[in-house]
Amino acid sequence: MPYYIGDVIQEEKRLIARTPEKFRETGVDVRIDTRAEEVDEAAREVLLSDGTRLPYDILVLGTGTTPLMPGIPGEEREGVFALRQYTDALRIKSWLKQVPCRKAIIIGAGFIGMEMSEALRGRGIETVVHHRGTLPVSRWDPEFSKVVVEELQKKGVSFVTGSELRSVEEGIEHKLRLVTNHGPDEADLILMAVGVRPNAVLGKQMGLPLGKSGAIRVSFSQQTEREGVYAVGDCAETFHRVSRRWVNVPLGDIANKQGRIAGVNIGGGAMTFPGIVGAQSFKVFDLEVAATGLGEREAAEAGFDPASTLIWGNAIAGSMPGNSPLGLKLIADRATGKLLGAQAVGKAGAVSRINTLSAALWAGLSLDDAGWLDLAYAPPFSGSWDPIHTAAQTLKRKL
Amino acid sequence: MGKQVVIIGAGAGGASVAAEARRRDPSLAIALIEQRGQVSVAA
Repeated sequence: MPYYIGDVIQEEKRLIARTPEKFRETGVDVRIDTRAEEVDEAAREVLLSDGTRLPYDILVLGTGTTPLMPGIPGEEREGVFALRQYTDALRIKSWLKQVPCRKAIIIGAGFIGMEMSEALRGRGIETVVHHRGTLPVSRWDPEFSKVVVEELQKKGVSFVTGSELRSVEEGIEHKLRLVTNHGPDEADLILMAVGVRPNAVLGKQMGLPLGKSGAIRVSFSQQTEREGVYAVGDCAETFHRVSRRWVNVPLGDIANKQGRIAGVNIGGGAMTFPGIVGAQSFKVFDLEVAATGLGEREAAEAGFDPASTLIWGNAIAGSMPGNSPLGLKLIADRATGKLLGAQAVGKAGAVSRINTLSAALWAGLSLDDAGWLDLAYAPPFSGSWDPIHTAAQTLKRKL
Repeated sequence: MGKQVVIIGAGAGGASVAAEARRRDPSLAIALIEQRGQVSVAA
């Protein structure tokens, strides 16, 4: 969606995987602009906002997430947005067309905030990110987060730290005025990107058990505790193969997979979801940022004894023109030598390394394995020793 | 008639359930309920 707002994806219909019409052609009864208000489990019926009572034999909850809002006066003003749904993207884009938007404020410095700063700046809009902390994207090592800040600043995005939000008011120079502990800052658009939580309202109403994450607990078949009731996607928990714990990771690729698993089981098959390793990537201007597995804190919480190393290597062979630095951090367990997680940042090659390391985590490889993996070497793509080899062997020596 | 399946939410998860269940079992009666004005969107 940030790429649609930034005009990288120009056509609205390219965002839509499958239209209501396409679904209807396959005989699926699609009802848009309709809310499911309540589930009457005794009658096995769903009560809809249009008053209909829809009977079910099998119920699936795919209720997604709810964006977190800071809870400050004025946050409901016109021109203040959260980006979670497709309709939010449409509203933001139509707002950008409708008002002369010279300046935008993004609140929050997670990956959505980063993607959106590129999208808005790319449209020529003056962009400021307000962050309550000091460094963006807290999943990554501070050394990598600093590289992200430098990239923002290089591209003309201001990054304001230690911002405590007070209110949103009507602006003088611009449409809106954000008041923080630093004073007023005006903009024509304010984007709230402070995070999301699982929307488990219906699940809770039905008394389904929720996990620590607040998401609905499911089995590997995507079934909830209740017979004939499934949950999929951002509102449901997911098994993390590295921590061996149930977590909530609201990403669209995971939702697709869980949905397919539930669909198979509902359609008479038998399939289980193998879980995730926590692979994630985003792009901010000319930087690739990616991570997989566990960070040190998560690893310690999961009962491991983590050790880590952070190296700077080359994205491609150091002798080749167009080479750029690649930062790679590896986390491993002292007791077993097993790889636990990885993070990477660079102009090129960060995502490809993280994808490789995600496969390594999936298979439960050790640092010894990672240090000697047979990777596809050629100078335009890597050195003869890849940063993966170097980092794994460096960390192995530290254990 | 086949079983009645009601899917609440037509994001990536819900829409995938509808598509896969339909592929597997054409006799299912599937309803996909979405509070917004669109379904199944690429993030």
